[in-house]
Amino acid sequence: MVEGRGRVDALFVYPVKGLSAQPLDRVALRPGTGFPNDRRFAFARPDGRYRPGTRVGLPKQEFFALVSDPRLAGLDTHVDTGTDVLTVRVAGHDVLKADLGTEEGRDEAMRFLTPVLDLPAGVTPVLAREPGRRFTDAAAAGDGPMNWVSVVSLASIRDLEARTGTVVDPLRFRANVVVDGLPAWSEMDAVGRELDLGGVRVRAVHRTRRCAATEVGPGTGRRDLAVVSMIHRTYGHQFMGIYVEVLTAGTLAKGSAVGV
Amino acid sequence: MSELRLRVSAAGELTPTVRRFVLRDPAGSRLPAYEPGAHVVVSTPAGHRRAYSLVEPGGAQPREYVLCVRRDTDGRGGSVSMHDDVAVGTTLVVSAPANRFPLAPSPRYLFIAGGIGITPIRAMVRRLRAAGRAGVRLLYLTRSAAETPFLEEFAGPEDTVHHSGGRGRLDLWPYLGVPDDDVRIYCCGPPALVRAVRTLTAHWRLSRIHLEEFAAGHRQLSSPFTAVWAPDGRRVGVPAHLSLLAALRGEGVRVGSSCEAGVCGTCRVAVLDGEVEHADSVLTESERVASMVACVSRARSTELVVGPYQDEELA
Repeated sequence: MVEGRGRVDALFVYPVKGLSAQPLDRVALRPGTGFPNDRRFAFARPDGRYRPGTRVGLPKQEFFALVSDPRLAGLDTHVDTGTDVLTVRVAGHDVLKADLGTEEGRDEAMRFLTPVLDLPAGVTPVLAREPGRRFTDAAAAGDGPMNWVSVVSLASIRDLEARTGTVVDPLRFRANVVVDGLPAWSEMDAVGRELDLGGVRVRAVHRTRRCAATEVGPGTGRRDLAVVSMIHRTYGHQFMGIYVEVLTAGTLAKGSAVGV
Repeated sequence: MSELRLRVSAAGELTPTVRRFVLRDPAGSRLPAYEPGAHVVVSTPAGHRRAYSLVEPGGAQPREYVLCVRRDTDGRGGSVSMHDDVAVGTTLVVSAPANRFPLAPSPRYLFIAGGIGITPIRAMVRRLRAAGRAGVRLLYLTRSAAETPFLEEFAGPEDTVHHSGGRGRLDLWPYLGVPDDDVRIYCCGPPALVRAVRTLTAHWRLSRIHLEEFAAGHRQLSSPFTAVWAPDGRRVGVPAHLSLLAALRGEGVRVGSSCEAGVCGTCRVAVLDGEVEHADSVLTESERVASMVACVSRARSTELVVGPYQDEELA
């Protein structure tokens, strides 16, 4: 992102923390509000710190998420962001359709998760949802970081693949914006600078430290590749991708240019 | 591991590609105990070491071990040697039985066997049915009737034998679509079948799904152990499919964590007793003497006493 120009390869929203990526063709970004519909819902641990009305960011360990519960990735899920209806499919079969906007739908969805998360019979997660808030990992660092947008660069992932002789699905990193055409790892040097992300002005604010969520094979429900230790062994750090803060309003579209 | 020298007392064809071998002690002694799901590792006459499931239900003092071997001409030669080089009277070096696929108690069962994957499943089904158990459902998937060992045994009301030749594969969804905590699923078969069952049970409780791929070679499998949380003496079972960190969390013991991949060291705990198999990439050898990283490292002993890690420089 420092040298040369790249382009936006893909855009994804994750309406529920830990559940499936939903591809987008374009997204309208505004300063201070984050990536629309991203991580609006999360499954909180029933014995944890989240209570309805909690208005501070909590660390990811307070929620069921891929880092601790890889089986969530075995579910093919979709949230209609207009109606908040959650659909869950297993191998192409609908197994749940629940309106997260109603108490009945929320209860049904939480009961569905009891066996998936291997909770004792009768114990369910708590559906976390707080108007104006999102359950991103960065939310634990404050309300500004809560709205950071995550970006990964395909060139850096390809470099990791080449150096380790593995195939690394970019979806493992669950970024909102996937960019291509930039020099490998140049995004790391961009931290602290402003960038042009498809016509939207953003500031690169932080490198993204990776956890075991990246070890879960998308769609498999299993940890199948030691991505964190691969990165650690290869580069001596734990980073892949960066967070950016949105500075100006604009519509980011697939295929648009990325540069300084 | 202790080794046995056993004599082949009977051998014969079950199908054109599957041979059955009965192994006994040459002096007629009883053999080491085993339970359904157990296997032995056989050194073939050509020098391969191959794991084969025991097809009989077993017990405390079995008289014989019975194996069934499918000839795999595309394999690495182990099954071909068993077919071509072993006859009645041959002496084979065999490991004591081990069990990576044990039968756990359950109100009901669904067994899914693909091809020669019937071997451990047969031992389980026979054990349960011999005890008069109902709710022991079997799906047995093979190519054709001629290639179906033990076909005549599985014609009961709870048996479905499906031949894919001419009819295509059986749709498993009607059997797996509705998860049921009162059912345990045991599946043994080729990788494609095991993968399909894993995918189709994504909404089931993981502890109810028992999968065994044959031809899996020497996998390094996790073993269950018991962790004792030193501050209150709480005993926490750590099953094979959970990390120590996850098992502690499940019991309400809060240990801080971050990467959960053995790199950051946040979930380090003190080890007060027991042997650890370290799998992290963060602790030094000296740090490993009395602490471990709970997200990836496990017990080498059956029990491990752990507690909160306190940095000595801060203490």
